Amino acid sequence: MSTSAAEDFQYQIKKPKGLSPRITWLRDFYFEGVKREWNNEFTSWTTGTPWDIQFNETAFYIVPETYALMQTLRSSFKMAAREVDLPKNFWSWSLPERRAWFNREVIVNHVPQEILPGDLLAGARFNVQTSFCLGKEDARKYDRLILGKNGARAKVKWFHDHGYGNAGATSGHLIPGYERALRIGWKGIHADIESKYSSLSQSEQKGPRGAQLRAMMTAATMPRELAKKYARLCSERAAEESDSTRKSELEQMAQNLERIPWEPAQTFWEAVQALWINHMLIMTDENYPGAGTSFGRIDQYLLPYWEYSTSRGMDREFGKEILKCFWIHCNTAYDAMIRNGPDGITAGFGQLITLSGMGAGGTDMTNDLTYAMLEVIDEMTPILEPKPNVRLHRKSPDRLLDKVVDMVSTSQGAPFLLNFDERSMAGMMVEAERAGLTRLINEENVHDYAPVGCMENTMVGNDRSGTVDNNINLLKAVELALAGGRDLLPFTDPMTGKTEKIKQDGPKTGDATRFKTWDEFWMAYAVQTRYIIERCVSLYENSESIRAEFFRTPYLSCLVKGCAERGLDITQGGAEIGFTTLEAVTFASTVDSLLAIKYLVFDKGECTMDELIQALKANWQGHEILQAKAKNRAPKYGRDDDEADEMAKKVMDLWTDETWKHRTRSTNRQFRPGMLSWNYWVGDGYILPASPDGRPKGQFLSNAICPSNGADINGPTANSNSVGKALGGRSHSGSGDWREYCNSLPNGASHTMTFNPSMLRDPEHKEKFKAFLRGYIENGGSSLQINMLDPDMLRDAQKNPQNYRHLLVRITGYNAYFTTVGRELQDEVIARLSHSKL
Amino acid sequence: MDADTNHHISEGTVFEVQRMSTEDGPGIRTTVFMKGCTLKCRWCHNPESISPEPQVHWMGSRCIGCRSCIAACPLDALLSGTDGISINRDICNGCGICAEACPSTAMELLGRKWTVDALIDELVKDRVYFEKSGGGITIGGGESTLQSSFVSSLLQKLRGKGIHTAIDTCGQTRKESLDAILPYTDLVLYDIKEIDPEKHKAFTGSGNERILNNLIYLSEYLKSHAHPGEIWIRTPLIPDATAREDNIRGIGRFIATHLGDLVHRWELLSFNNLCKDKYLRLGLEWDFRESELLSKEDMEKFAAIAMEAVGHPEIVQWSGMTKLELDDTSDKRGREKQYSVKKSNSCSTL
Repeated sequence: MSTSAAEDFQYQIKKPKGLSPRITWLRDFYFEGVKREWNNEFTSWTTGTPWDIQFNETAFYIVPETYALMQTLRSSFKMAAREVDLPKNFWSWSLPERRAWFNREVIVNHVPQEILPGDLLAGARFNVQTSFCLGKEDARKYDRLILGKNGARAKVKWFHDHGYGNAGATSGHLIPGYERALRIGWKGIHADIESKYSSLSQSEQKGPRGAQLRAMMTAATMPRELAKKYARLCSERAAEESDSTRKSELEQMAQNLERIPWEPAQTFWEAVQALWINHMLIMTDENYPGAGTSFGRIDQYLLPYWEYSTSRGMDREFGKEILKCFWIHCNTAYDAMIRNGPDGITAGFGQLITLSGMGAGGTDMTNDLTYAMLEVIDEMTPILEPKPNVRLHRKSPDRLLDKVVDMVSTSQGAPFLLNFDERSMAGMMVEAERAGLTRLINEENVHDYAPVGCMENTMVGNDRSGTVDNNINLLKAVELALAGGRDLLPFTDPMTGKTEKIKQDGPKTGDATRFKTWDEFWMAYAVQTRYIIERCVSLYENSESIRAEFFRTPYLSCLVKGCAERGLDITQGGAEIGFTTLEAVTFASTVDSLLAIKYLVFDKGECTMDELIQALKANWQGHEILQAKAKNRAPKYGRDDDEADEMAKKVMDLWTDETWKHRTRSTNRQFRPGMLSWNYWVGDGYILPASPDGRPKGQFLSNAICPSNGADINGPTANSNSVGKALGGRSHSGSGDWREYCNSLPNGASHTMTFNPSMLRDPEHKEKFKAFLRGYIENGGSSLQINMLDPDMLRDAQKNPQNYRHLLVRITGYNAYFTTVGRELQDEVIARLSHSKL
Repeated sequence: MDADTNHHISEGTVFEVQRMSTEDGPGIRTTVFMKGCTLKCRWCHNPESISPEPQVHWMGSRCIGCRSCIAACPLDALLSGTDGISINRDICNGCGICAEACPSTAMELLGRKWTVDALIDELVKDRVYFEKSGGGITIGGGESTLQSSFVSSLLQKLRGKGIHTAIDTCGQTRKESLDAILPYTDLVLYDIKEIDPEKHKAFTGSGNERILNNLIYLSEYLKSHAHPGEIWIRTPLIPDATAREDNIRGIGRFIATHLGDLVHRWELLSFNNLCKDKYLRLGLEWDFRESELLSKEDMEKFAAIAMEAVGHPEIVQWSGMTKLELDDTSDKRGREKQYSVKKSNSCSTL
């Protein structure tokens, strides 16, 4: 991408700064995209059996855009797959052992290794689609469960088509035990698994536990074997190198790779190199490029190595140079489908790093490496990965907030998400209580939590909580309550053009037109809410049980505590903490719809229930006055109006209480609530019929915990207060979930606000913005995405996308290049732009 | 106003409560805009604030054309024409029935009655943000001292809750009103728009003698009382009106002579034209409809003159909207110009 055109921009957008020639070259090379000679797109590998499968489709069931492509993706990966020679007794091994061997064989001996010019880190290609390694019978069984009218694929499509949402057992989305892997090396991990294996009885060793541990031991040697290859490559390059500085760099890299990641890391360079290999091989193991595979508190666990090296003479800038190479490597995850180009909001894989935050006893953990990493972000931005999340709390130092606010003011919005510790920790304590896990999450360690993907809070190194796995439109329950358990409108398949007859899908909650009181409607809504959640739980079971039976990730299992202890793969529920998260979508649309029904039908008598239902069926056509009343006169969540926010809390309590009641049958993972929304609130707006809040079909729904678009007319403080109240607020008696803080959502809730850049125009206003953030710590939610944009600039970017290729926007904590997101999303960002009424 | 002499005012007329206001005093504030003004500045930025009576206005962009308002009006003061709904101001008594009937809030009643307690409940909602920022409540307008009993009782209660209070006044007010309010006020934002009494009368309908006398009174008050603690002076720079070197120099000298160290800040606010539509909606002509914005250079020049005249250059600041200069956008200064829209929420200053 060209930076020379910058002078033509009508508006200045953030440019990288202070980059060395090395990093400038690597960064520019990365952005050449498809034009690069080298890339990291998927390569596909097969055992050679006719029934082989590579593409793990259940991991994409939460991406409705892929439904129509499932079969194509599956066959094209299969067709492109190269055969790997198998050892003679391969098929006599257990499934996890086959998979562990196969993945290691592919990445070490088949996928080529490369070092880029000037790069300080090794570890290039890792995106692969590898054989499931299933035998014939298993493959048949798998297909029976996936394909056909009653298969998992058709069921998720039905769920999506009818406006309920989606669910699927998704890869990534956790924070592996990276700290331990650096501290004890793979040697230590291997030894630990070996000792667990030898303590098994003979019959256990012969059984599935033994097989799993043997597979994990094989997987644990994969990083060592790969590092050796890269070490050799570095030595060869060093021998050919004429530039003496580069030569010594390559020699040092070779030396590093001879030791780590097998041995414990000692220097900062070793630690970052080891971290990268350990991380990229998860993407290899899961066949899944990066999404949500997050680093956790990287400025904490890399700090000992940083201090070791800086105290022994490593130049701080060289340390940052190593980190910048790490940044580039993280971005190569995007190469997976590089030829497909950006499509909708697909940017932002969310290899999240966490910076700063609270330590034991409420202390602040900001350190020199925190600042070094913020500098790296500032200098590299705009770039998408790794995605940073800065944790703030009451004792966050002014210097950190100054840096945060400065960076916000020079970027097109914060180049990071903000997480708020007190509120987040309150949610984690709720989770511990609800699941009886207080021995694993408690007062003493809850500050060790970290966000995954965008802002989904989990514990670290022992936790897979399926943070994107279940996405439910709460608004569906309003529709069903209005129509007595039936859809309001018949579904027409856009592919076949066939219209289905409306069926009694949900419970019969009665004819809403006969309800005499608001309470009657509320009861019907509650019943339908329970129904849609049960239905989602049962949908998830399909893909969760399929993944548990057929898809193994023994390498990842080595990095998550609980798997070795239980002898279970992480896909079988091996993690010590294993929730699956139900992410509610359309929260504000639902609350506002309920408020509108109460206001229009029961409180003010502006219309009858029948009139309202007719208006919704007609998509408000011919009912414009009623629609205007619903939009403008009915109360709305997000204005710090206590009555409306009380409804928000009531809706929150209902669906979260219901969520906690469920577990997966196959893997015994409890459901926990959260609010992420990803991009569903846009797409599903075309599926769900008109809603009582005045929204017509085709207009987007509300995003995560944000107020409905345009509803937050009282500005950012009112908006934040409403969000905090919806989550539970603060307990006046001081006994909340964590200290006085309450939070119904352990996963956290995504909150996006857009500010006018003039908010940050001078030091005095920056201080005011800092104070706003400190106020948010008290009154707001668990996470905040700050956008700082000018509507004219965005309109110009719509007209002249060629001038704004670097322009980053963030939606639901989701980074994307503005010009690559769809028009509706662009319009949405613009519409949200200003908090003033003007 | 008669309202002033009434000691049992339990309700105030407010035309807006603006939260997270960052332009009306220190920190993050909630600004209460009182309805009714003692001046009639020709450039007034909030024309809806001048009349003390509730008024309705019609926002075309929100209108769905349903005519509910016309049907609802008991006085037949509304007409539908090619330009939308027009309000016959001679007939309209501001009863607000049309606004109640409007489904889309296109017809809006400006000037809601608040009791002190209800307003306080609203104002304390951002208390956390006030505390973290050193902010609080600013009473603006209109003229903040016009409904002095209400404002006095409001500020007294806010102070009782430990919330920082500020008033924004144009100074054209009775000493008794100031006396009622000042004991509960931490900061006074005081406008001096024009130093020449004749010009002042031409621009605002009144001379500036009372305003300047009140300012001297205020400065004496500050010296002998614990509250208020400081004064900020605000001067709107209006092209072809107050934006003159002699005016700035004169105001600066006045401050230097009479107020000395009591003034902690002197803000020069550049003219903006964001209120064009407001005049249209209220059926009013606006002399400044075609006026150009000042340039950044103009503002810097006036700031330099102010600094020199006032003797304390550190107290002078300027803000506001300046002319967009598209030929100079590639450097950092250009960028600042692009984003130099600084909306002042205070009506009495512009």
